[in-house]
Parts: sequence; structure tokens; C-alpha cells
Amino acid sequence: MNDTKIEQALGTTEPRVNADEALARFQARVQAEGIAPVVALARPRVTSRWLQGLAAAAGVVIVASALTLSGVAESVLKIFEPKSVVAVPLTQSDLNYLGQACAGLNLQECMGAYGTFVWTTAPQPKEVSSRSQASAQAGFNALAPSSLPSSVIGDPRYGVINRSTATFTFSADSTKQAAARVNRTAPPLPANIDGSKLLITGGPAVVQIWGAPAGAPASRGQAEAIPTLIVGQAKAPTVSSDGVTVDELRSYLLSQPGISPQLAAAIRAIGDPSSTLPVPVPAELAISHPVTVQGVQGLFVGDNTGIASAVIWQKDGMMFEVIGSFTESQALAIANSMR
Amino acid sequence: MTLPARDPGHIARAVSPAFESLFRAEYARVVGIAHRVLADQAEAEDVAQDVFISFYRGHPADAPYARAWLHSAAAHAALNAVRGRDRRSRREAAVAVTPDTTATEADPAETVAASETREEVRAVLARMPERSAAMLALRYAGLSYAEIAAALDVRASSVGTLLRRAEDAFRRELR
Repeated sequence: MNDTKIEQALGTTEPRVNADEALARFQARVQAEGIAPVVALARPRVTSRWLQGLAAAAGVVIVASALTLSGVAESVLKIFEPKSVVAVPLTQSDLNYLGQACAGLNLQECMGAYGTFVWTTAPQPKEVSSRSQASAQAGFNALAPSSLPSSVIGDPRYGVINRSTATFTFSADSTKQAAARVNRTAPPLPANIDGSKLLITGGPAVVQIWGAPAGAPASRGQAEAIPTLIVGQAKAPTVSSDGVTVDELRSYLLSQPGISPQLAAAIRAIGDPSSTLPVPVPAELAISHPVTVQGVQGLFVGDNTGIASAVIWQKDGMMFEVIGSFTESQALAIANSMR
Repeated sequence: MTLPARDPGHIARAVSPAFESLFRAEYARVVGIAHRVLADQAEAEDVAQDVFISFYRGHPADAPYARAWLHSAAAHAALNAVRGRDRRSRREAAVAVTPDTTATEADPAETVAASETREEVRAVLARMPERSAAMLALRYAGLSYAEIAAALDVRASSVGTLLRRAEDAFRRELR
């Protein structure tokens, strides 16, 4: 096929548009839907209120993705736990942007791209000897799979993560400097977001790990420490704001220059961003689709190689994850056997 | 199309003069980019409206990156729409009789063939890597190398190479 044929294949008759009509339609929509343009003027702070689930779906995707890249993704899922979960495909360009912004940085440094992140009560994982001990320390009944594939052998190890709290303060200066570090120009941080705070609580959580040898936490980097099955359970988090609303935050974060319109559209399509966890899924590397698990809608995520898969769901105020090298049916069977 | 009352006062409050100027300057280009992917003017105009709404929500009208942002968003949003369109048989039926076809006056067999080719082209764009598909949409919508570079955030000196790769991938996918 030569260039002319490509031209023909991609060619369509140039549309004749009426910009006046289109502008009138745009204005009508802006008014009907009460859509406000980005503003730089300070507005009075709204009174403090708690936002259930996520403070902003986009913010979570950005932070979760950054943390995924920096190797601490599990912490994110335990911080932001929703009423339901939905997959959000991340394109390579999104990952590139996030990689540039956060590669090699720890949690505080990465979130420093938008402000200051401070743990007020840091998560402190510790190992306990039994499920009942884990339940007692977490304050809830830790469920366990009653049926396992033959590939999962031995007894699990148990970890408990305490209820953790953190504060994040948005900073226009930090945002500007972070964008400059990756040779980008960030949209100006709206004045009502600059300086506003998010107060995040997460956990407690219980993690059960099969296939990881004792002492694994101290032997990081050893190939044999890779577990065959991880089951996580945590209380849903809450995020509070002292001023900025979910919609304001989402709009601003989605306007970042590195966020693809595809990702933005997927996040905007989420019905209730305050109670839905968008699970970042690299579009080119993983597949995902909704599944029914334990009688509720959850999410299956797998990579295209079939090496790893996960089932994530939320039920009765708790978030659950089953992660391992399983087929979808195996992963679902494990998830559905949780008692 | 029924237009809302043209109340200048309301218009002034709804959209700033700077945004109105940007809209008038770029609307046809944004629709053109989306139309290159979707081959459906009504759908392309819907995408263009969404693109401008997104920009309006989050960016000042006089932002230096406004045009590049709109062009990029048009391509990506249209590609996103064409991917979703696979699941919408009603839309597919509508495309099959789109007035954009150049075979309107041709015999029915040619019309069907042209429609099938067009659909295959859209399917290929949907399957291709996002940046390559966007690059083709922008280029064949008439953007210059410099405009493509700005929209896709790549070096202008790389556009030629990237475009050739995208065209090669397109040829392979289209058989």
C-alpha cells in the first residue's frame, strides 16, 4: 500500500462545520450542566466534610500508578479502598509520564509532585503467628480461602498493618517545580486547591501470604521470596478534605499535561468517583473485566502472558484482593472460597 | 438543530471572549481530526464538544498549549470513541449509511465495499498503539510536523520517523 492508498484509506470528506451553531451548543451545555471554567481566584473554603472512599479518582490513579512504578502499589490499595472497583486503562504515554515524575522516588517524594505528604500514623506491617491473632490485632474477622489450587502448598504467613493516617497538602510551587523537572508546564493550580489538605485514613489490613519463606521481608530481592498466593483484606479508607471538592480535584488532576485524554475519559466515565476505586491497569500489558465474586461485582486483572492475575472486590465495608499466578477461574475459585 | 436563544449577556457569562475566540479558531480542526478517525460527522462533532468541555473545565483559554492540547485530545478521544463503537451495533449501522461516503452515487456493491473498507480502517486504528494511531489521524487531518510534535509531545525532528513507522504498522494491520 502506498501513501496515496493510505490517504484514501484514512481519507474522508472534510466535514463542513458551523462554528456559530457549535458554539451555541457548547454554551447551552455549559449553562445547562453548570460547568465552570478553571478559575484562579481564591474562594471561601467550604466547611470540612468527609468524603467516603476516594477523594478523587484521578488522584488515586496518579498516585497509585506512581506507587506501582516505585514498587509500593500494595500500600495504595490499602489506603484507598472503595465501595466498588473499576479498571482504568493506562496507556504507555501515561506510564511514561508517571515514570518520569516518580521513578525511583519514595511515597513522600512522589506525592511531592503535587504538594507535601506526611504520615501522621505510618503503616507498620508486622508478622503474627496465626489468623486468629491477625484478626484480633486488626479488629475484624480475617477471612481465608477454604479451597486452594494444588500449586499452593504449605501454611500461610500472616501480616497485620495498623490503621494509618496521613495528610497531603497541595502546593502550587511543588506542582510547578515537578513539572519543570520533566520539562513540562503544569496548568496553574487553582487557588482554592493550593494549600488545601486531604486527610487520609486507611486500614487496618491483614495480609496472608503463601509460598514466601520465613524471613522474607529481610531477604528482599531473593527470587525464592516470590509468593504463590497473596490474600489481602482491609477496612475501607476515608479521605477528608478541608476545602477542595472531588470534582475540583478530579478536574485539575485530569488536566495535567501528561494525562492522556483516553485516561481522562475513562476516569470521567466513573459514575461515583467518591466511592469507586479506579484500579490502574497498563493497557498494553494487562487485561481486566468485571466479575461476580462473593455475590458482588469485582474486577479481574491479568497480564497478557497469564503469569499473574488478581481479583479485587469490596463487600461489607471491606476490600479484598487475591493475587497470584492463576488462571481466571482458579483466581475466582479462591476468591469465592473465602470464609 | 434547535439553537438556544442568543442572549449576549448569557453568552458573556458562560464563555469568555478568549475562549470563544479559541473555539471559533479551532473547532473545525478539532472536528476534522476526530472525523478522520470516526468517519461520522455527527459523532466527530460530539467528540469535539466533549474535548472543548474538558479544556474549558481545566485550562485557561489563553494557555500557550491550548491548540496542541485540543488537537491531541481530539485524536485520543476519537480513538477512544471508535474503540467503544465496536460494541454499539446501532452506530455501526449508522456509519454504514454515512453521507460521508464518496460512493453515494455509485452502485450498491461499491457502496458496501467502501463502507466495509472504512470500517476496517477504523478497526485497524483502534487496534494500533495509541500514539501511532493518533499520529496518523493528526497527519492525515492536515497538521504539520510541528503541530503534530506539539500535540503528541515528541520532538519535531522525530515526527517523520515516527510517522513512517505508524504508516508501516497501519499497512501491516490492514493486510
